Amino acid sequence: MKAHAVTAPTIDPVSIEIIKASLDGIVQEMQNSLFRTGYSTIIRESQDASCAIMAVNGDVISQHVVLPLHIGAFPACTAAILRDYNDIEEGDAFLINHPYEGGSPHAPDMAVITPIFIGGTLMGFCGSIAHKSDIGGPVPGSCSGQAKETFNEGLHLPAVRYQRRFERSQEIERIIAANSRTPDLVLGDIRGQLGSSRLGEQRVQELVAKFGYELCLGCFDRLLELAELRMRAAISEWTDGRYEAERFVDDDGVDINKPVRIHVVIEKKGDQITFDFSGSADQTKGPANIRPPLVKAAVAYCLISLVDPHIFINSGILNAFEIVAREGSVMNPRFPAPVNTYNPTVHAVVETLFAALTRIVPSRARADGCGSRSIILGGRSTYTGKGYVQYEILGGGAGARAMKDGASGTSVNQSNAKIAPVEIIESEFPTRVLRFELIKDSGGAGMFRGGLGIRREYLNIEDARFSIRSTKHVIAPLGAAGGGEGRTGDIIVNPETAGEKRLPTRYADYPLKAGDSFRLDSPGGGGLGDAFKRDPSQVLKDVIEGYVSTQAAERDYGVSLVKVGRNWTIDESATQRLRNQS
Amino acid sequence: MGHYRVTVDTGGTFSDFVYINEDTDEVSVAKIPSTPDDPSRAILNGVQLLIDQGVRAEDIRYFCHGTTVGTNALLEGKGVRTGLLVTEGFRGIYEVAEQSRPHGAAIFDIFYDRPAQLVSASATAEAHERVAFDGEILKALDETALRLSVRELIADGIQSIAVCLLFSFLMPDHERRIREIIAEEDPSISVSLSSDIVPQIREYYRLSTTVINAYLQPILARYIANLDARLLEVGIKTPQKYIMQSNGGMATFGATAKKAVATVLSGPAGGITASVQACRMTGFQNLITFDMGGTSCDVALIKDGEPSVSTRGKVEGRDVALPMIDINTVSAGGGTLARVDRFGALDVGPQSAGAMPGPACYGRGGTQPTITDCNLALGYLSEGNFLGGKMRLDRAASEKALQDNIAGPLKSDIHHAADGIVRIINVKMQEAIKAISTMRGHDLRDFMLLAFGGAGPLHACAIADELGMAGVVVPLFPGVYSAMGLIMSDVKHDYIQSRLGNLDKISASQVESVFAELERQARHDLDEEGFRRDQTVLERSLDMRYAGQGYEMSIVCPAKLDDTGLKGLRAAFDEQHKKTFGHHAAGEPIEIVSYRLRAIGQVPPVKMQKFSPSGLKIADAVRERRSAFFNGKMIETPVYQRDRLDVGHEFQGPAIIDQLDCTTIIPPGQKVRVDSYKNMIVTKGALS
Repeated sequence: MKAHAVTAPTIDPVSIEIIKASLDGIVQEMQNSLFRTGYSTIIRESQDASCAIMAVNGDVISQHVVLPLHIGAFPACTAAILRDYNDIEEGDAFLINHPYEGGSPHAPDMAVITPIFIGGTLMGFCGSIAHKSDIGGPVPGSCSGQAKETFNEGLHLPAVRYQRRFERSQEIERIIAANSRTPDLVLGDIRGQLGSSRLGEQRVQELVAKFGYELCLGCFDRLLELAELRMRAAISEWTDGRYEAERFVDDDGVDINKPVRIHVVIEKKGDQITFDFSGSADQTKGPANIRPPLVKAAVAYCLISLVDPHIFINSGILNAFEIVAREGSVMNPRFPAPVNTYNPTVHAVVETLFAALTRIVPSRARADGCGSRSIILGGRSTYTGKGYVQYEILGGGAGARAMKDGASGTSVNQSNAKIAPVEIIESEFPTRVLRFELIKDSGGAGMFRGGLGIRREYLNIEDARFSIRSTKHVIAPLGAAGGGEGRTGDIIVNPETAGEKRLPTRYADYPLKAGDSFRLDSPGGGGLGDAFKRDPSQVLKDVIEGYVSTQAAERDYGVSLVKVGRNWTIDESATQRLRNQS
Repeated sequence: MGHYRVTVDTGGTFSDFVYINEDTDEVSVAKIPSTPDDPSRAILNGVQLLIDQGVRAEDIRYFCHGTTVGTNALLEGKGVRTGLLVTEGFRGIYEVAEQSRPHGAAIFDIFYDRPAQLVSASATAEAHERVAFDGEILKALDETALRLSVRELIADGIQSIAVCLLFSFLMPDHERRIREIIAEEDPSISVSLSSDIVPQIREYYRLSTTVINAYLQPILARYIANLDARLLEVGIKTPQKYIMQSNGGMATFGATAKKAVATVLSGPAGGITASVQACRMTGFQNLITFDMGGTSCDVALIKDGEPSVSTRGKVEGRDVALPMIDINTVSAGGGTLARVDRFGALDVGPQSAGAMPGPACYGRGGTQPTITDCNLALGYLSEGNFLGGKMRLDRAASEKALQDNIAGPLKSDIHHAADGIVRIINVKMQEAIKAISTMRGHDLRDFMLLAFGGAGPLHACAIADELGMAGVVVPLFPGVYSAMGLIMSDVKHDYIQSRLGNLDKISASQVESVFAELERQARHDLDEEGFRRDQTVLERSLDMRYAGQGYEMSIVCPAKLDDTGLKGLRAAFDEQHKKTFGHHAAGEPIEIVSYRLRAIGQVPPVKMQKFSPSGLKIADAVRERRSAFFNGKMIETPVYQRDRLDVGHEFQGPAIIDQLDCTTIIPPGQKVRVDSYKNMIVTKGALS
């Protein structure tokens, strides 16, 4: 137990709840302020930003969950500040985006952190992490799928003092501006983050003025302790044992055709649980690596999912488990291994953990899902004559769940982006969308079917540069408990023509010509349980709805259907025959 | 007997009635048990109540209704069998929706699913056609294929069809032709075109709104026809029969039957409209409305006499792209449950005891303590005055629930446990208020809290004090406040047309021509509803953005625009952007995305009854003293009877005010003044 249990019993439960609700409100207010005042659409529309209040050692006390992965990044970023500075004062503000010095997932995720002082004593920190539109490097957006070291991934700031006595450092702003393709957006967003942090600082000071320093500090400790206690209590109800699982990421973007192994051994005894990732692949040449703060956040994500999605989330949860991430591995790479495309690896970690943990918690079993992907088209807009970047993030099919089919056409796991409207894309960019639909038969077969992937087809009206950062185009989303695989994703230029060309899962800067089309298929989710045990009436319904073909119904589910007039019905005897054969 | 206005707000348990005599301004109220199987029965009962007092039906010259018929059908999945027609190749628009999950727990919850589709994939057909982003027809509608698809839908028993084609907001011809074809095939099918319902860019939100309309339309049309027939039967012949809409304005029965989706927030809108009127009565132009009932608490912001309206929202997780009053709902009500977990942490909500078993004090088998149990144990509520004494509360049951579940495990006493729970739920409601005020840049010191709903006035004074607000207003009839709002609204219709255009390149006459078309529609609709020109107001606004941004801001647009006015729009946008977001980009090109027109048909206002002091003494208003919990101990507290409080009365907290369906708590350190409309105005400080 790392939490300070000594102070806990003296604090009354009413004060704890009131302070907890107030902290919730403060982080929400910080978040709203950031969404409102941030410059870029990345912050305001994609809402790729999150805020937190931290204890004096960097533990997150309260976070408004927009992005689950930042729970690991905040303490690591704050730890870097505490390590590098022993003269922190009121009115200071720090910047850090360095994945190795601090805990940013990748360089575009910039943290702004400010100390909270109460009567001259450092009480904690407020901060935010927000994705920046561009922080330099070889490609717009700073995330090249072909990066070989962090030096190909944009400007990296260790913990630097951005404000002293509430005055911004002009030098730091000039350095950042000189290193970004979109300096106004980046500086505007950083100032928005600073405003949000200062607001949080003021609100915490007001809270302390109202409830007293000792009580607030005691509540901080108690809230961390309660989160840990609740998590440990849930874990202690699980069966003791050793659980193991592995997953593979298609490739790292540089060594094409070389899958990257993610492996975990979970040792669980009483309320102790350790996640040992030592068996994972060595660090990759391409940007598939992730740093330990992200590994911790991925573990916390899964534990919260499995224990209680409504649990009060803070660093206490991270204190309830141990991780082992072997140095030099994809889970703990040595500087300066590249890290920019972390999402496919994190998806794989989450799915590895689900695969291992749901042997303990079968009621929350879930097959693998689609992961996430982004496509970027760049060129010159016919409309404004200005350079443009068309950026889209797509989900696909979610894995089937214990007692429930997987959701179709959705974001999964830690990703949660909105899809771009067709009418906006066509109005703004020289692109026409030809097709937007779910892919029949893409959901893995099972007693519970996987969700369906998304197909989007585009016609390129002018020359453009095309990049994709996807996953599961080679290695399919796996089923669970005997369920079938989901269909893999795909990216094909000029499909069904003589010039048809398949691109790799991660690819930067493909030159599309005017008149070229491309088709993006996102993966379907894996199925769960034996497909031959799926209720035939459900299979019939899937056929009627167009989610499953009659061929697949017969082949994968052993359900034979015949058309009577306009309607499909189950051929009971043929179905029985098919199902008995297996 | 004079002429009357009658309004009714239908709730789950009660239908609330307000009757106002237009000649004397006299107001009376009633609560009639609701009849969920056919809500119009309860309405007729309430009308009959007035007629039984000798009022002639033909003297009822105004009727307005806040209905939950649409909302409930949506909530319970009881709309009609609905079909959908989309552009060929674009079924994904509805099936993928926004793709994302809501923030918070849903991101972690692998069992989260978005609300089930109102139209299944098998009831969806594709129209072979395509329109480009500039309105050009790339592929003409294949009518033969479409006719076959429509026949299949009809053969499958579809009763209502939503049509949403790409770029139909620019080029509605294909959708309109489809409506003709459906009518040729079967004129009984209800058709909702996205280009009619909300001709606005962003296909998913337009589609979702259109589908909801199609799903509810026949139900609402039938309900209104039935209600209208019944009202006619009893002799109410006035054309002034209205339904409240989500935008806070009314629509005539006829107009409502054409746009069902506009009523999905009909219920709560009434309370906000009443609050807008309260601004005029009390002179307080900035209010936070605080409507706390059995399971939830709704808060909304009114600034300078205008409620905050958003252009899009979610209802039961479904997207509705129509203007609606911005209401923030938090699960906090009289039925909210409290418990202590095994680690000694005290949790309050979000679970509710609902109507069954309800709070422990209802004696229906509930054993867990609720907020109502706490209010009873603390002496704020009395056992004998709940629902005007119609339902006796069991205080011993509340105390036992609190002792067994809270005070025992926490080694506390019943009163401190109950007080703690109330403080926790108050903080949650305070955070909901902050979310719509301070978090959007408003200063709560400039706002009064207007409390209504069954439980609002119990908690309001403590909450306003904690938030540092200017004070509290408790209206004369807080229990039927939504119905009160229906007495005094205007007809309001919203029209929109998306058409992207660069502000630097567009001419004033081009802008005028788009507005001219919207105004033509608006005039037509208002004429049809019988408004004279001098009773109508048209308000224009433009949704604009810096080119390429993902969101728009509405900017008020002058009635007759010339090129100077056009330049003014640029400055107005920059300024509004700076005010809202803290910065602007004066050099960036600005785009117009959508044209909005609000058409207002002014309904002759009714005067709210103003009272003169009748000479009653404050001492006579004190009904009893009861022991209630303030400042950490039980103290003898005077209980005032609301209907005996006279204009000009002033008294000091601690005090309790009981009335038919509501209790108000005034903590120590606050004072009350009764204004000439018999509102109670509560502020900090002692009587001078």
